Amino acid sequence: MRRCAQCAVDVEGHWMRCPLCAAPLAGEAVPSPLPAVPLNFSRRRVWKALFLTSLAVILASFLAQLLFRAADIGLVRSVWLGLTAMWLVVLMAVRKRRNVAKGTVYLVVLIGLVCVYWDYLGGWDGWSLTYAVPALCAAAIIAVLIMVRVMRTEVGEHILYSGLTVLLGLAPLVFLVLGWVTNPVPSVVCGALSICALVVVQAARGAEVRHELAKRLHV
Amino acid sequence: MTRRTWVRLDNASNIFLAARTNADPKVFRLSAETDHDVDPHLLQAALDTTFDRYPLYHAVLRRGVFWYYLQDSDLRPVVTAEDQYTCAPLYQADRRNLLFRVVHHRRRIVLEVFHALSDGTGALWFLTDLLTAYHRLRYPAPGRPVTDDGEPLGAGTGPGHAVPAAPVAPGVPPGDAAAEPTHALSGDSFRHYFLRRRRQGSVAAGSAFRREAAPATLTAEAGAPSSGVAPRGTGARHSRPRTKVYRATGTRTPDNRTRAVELTMPAQGVLALARAEGVSLTMYLIAVFFESLRRSSGGLGAARTLAASVPVNLRQFFPSTSARNFFATVRVDHTYGEGPDDVGSVSRQLDGQFWPKASPEALERKLRRFIRFERMPVLRILPRPLKDVILKLVNGGSNRGLSVAVSNLGRVSLPEPAASHVGRILFHVTAVRPQFCAISHAGLLTITFTSPFTETAHIREFARMLTARGIDVTVAAARVTEEELAEVGP
Repeated sequence: MRRCAQCAVDVEGHWMRCPLCAAPLAGEAVPSPLPAVPLNFSRRRVWKALFLTSLAVILASFLAQLLFRAADIGLVRSVWLGLTAMWLVVLMAVRKRRNVAKGTVYLVVLIGLVCVYWDYLGGWDGWSLTYAVPALCAAAIIAVLIMVRVMRTEVGEHILYSGLTVLLGLAPLVFLVLGWVTNPVPSVVCGALSICALVVVQAARGAEVRHELAKRLHV
Repeated sequence: MTRRTWVRLDNASNIFLAARTNADPKVFRLSAETDHDVDPHLLQAALDTTFDRYPLYHAVLRRGVFWYYLQDSDLRPVVTAEDQYTCAPLYQADRRNLLFRVVHHRRRIVLEVFHALSDGTGALWFLTDLLTAYHRLRYPAPGRPVTDDGEPLGAGTGPGHAVPAAPVAPGVPPGDAAAEPTHALSGDSFRHYFLRRRRQGSVAAGSAFRREAAPATLTAEAGAPSSGVAPRGTGARHSRPRTKVYRATGTRTPDNRTRAVELTMPAQGVLALARAEGVSLTMYLIAVFFESLRRSSGGLGAARTLAASVPVNLRQFFPSTSARNFFATVRVDHTYGEGPDDVGSVSRQLDGQFWPKASPEALERKLRRFIRFERMPVLRILPRPLKDVILKLVNGGSNRGLSVAVSNLGRVSLPEPAASHVGRILFHVTAVRPQFCAISHAGLLTITFTSPFTETAHIREFARMLTARGIDVTVAAARVTEEELAEVGP
């Protein structure tokens, strides 16, 4: 074993200098009981920076649209908002990739809000609540039902989020009752789909839903 | 379709989650050095059987709306060669992985555990069982049936060898944990003892038995010699420190890894030093630690008070077979420049502070206060992220009053055949401030210093003080800086 004369200690491993006082060591080296692990610089920090920057750019470009609210910038607005919305969708899909059902809830809410905002910027024709949101919700319900089957997600993992997706499908019915829609058909279709799904979930998975709720909401 | 069992996280574990940072992921490591290069296949077989006996270790950590909880999983641990730096993060939000890992390097078997899952004592039970199972496979006793079902689990089992689901020889006691059949994913001992009514009688009656039965307690080795000598009265007059508490600072390691330096020495020699001062080993070592910090700091300046936090295993007073966190911390301090400052006097002064605070009554009062705080209705309905912020602030506040932390798991006794083949056992934990952890086995006391900083001056002073007192010290350190790593090449 190597020895540091200054500290009067034996040193394990192939050290040239004492790890405590940096004085030169003398004697035969023995193998270190601890491996020398190369420095690692985490990709997590890079991802975090990219995510936050993206979020800031997206938010800024949505807010910037307010400046052109009165002006008729037509196609420019569509391209601009389309690109931004796409970026947002990709960002959230990547971030929430580990739980597809959870990711779907996030996407439904985010895209719904973007559509409403877009409609508002364009002078409010009501197309977002009449067509976009019901279509979005209905598509999400069908998508979740297919995905959890295909990916064999455990019931406990997805049931709350698929339940939430189904509940979001009831929102168009609320818009219909409040008279915010110009054409009732999409809302009715989406609402009916949602109610069917709700009945199925309650009948088949009621116990699981209650178990999950008790677990996640215990105080 | 399986409905997973779950338990809420206990009192101490919540703070670990809130206080976790990049530099301090709240992971601790227990390692044991055996007498040969570790056989990964046997270790995997031993891990599989041990894992089956510890449902707690199957748990993954999940986030609820109001609290974290542990949930059962089907994951299986895989033994790997040590290729990450010591105590690399184990828990990452949204990622469902086991909260411990078993790795090996040369002659060492290493167990790393996320602190929210278990404490040192609980992990030591697991390591004891793992070492016992491993050495039974490695050194099958001639003529002794190794397993109940008659299948020889001897050395030479090939890779990918399927391990029977039954635990290794349930009839044979795996160390001190033998009394407990399994360490279930339940049983929060904090709530059991400190939530409702006072428990009369059972504490005093149980503690004597438990002191014997507990595999490793703070006082098993350290406490006994001092009990008759320590001037217990002096603790009563201790008051708040009058000066600022010294807090070490330094250069962060390049990738936030923990700087760990291991000192190995004969246990008897150090124990004799502590006995000569009439104090427990832990308090003696803290006094040496304080002195080494004072020497390495180049003058304490206005912050003349040094304070240490010392965890106390609650199982010795409140019998529990749960491997989950069950400890409390006691704070001791010393202000320099207000009387005798030699190591002996400081250690006696610390010893006088420590024992009254570490009495079952004092600990119970403290823990009841914590539990009451945790169960406050207003706090309970706060969403979890907010709770984390509050706990982070609380933790930051208590950190400001601490210079160092010190943890002593005491003397480990392993059952045969592990006992005769295992040499030193080592123990350390990631740290937000300079810290050391001590543990002893086979007559060797190991003191592992950890710190988020690259500086080792305080360890140098510590080692020199011991060698000056005639103790033979051996140093092993993991390389953390670029220069240190460049020395060994890529």
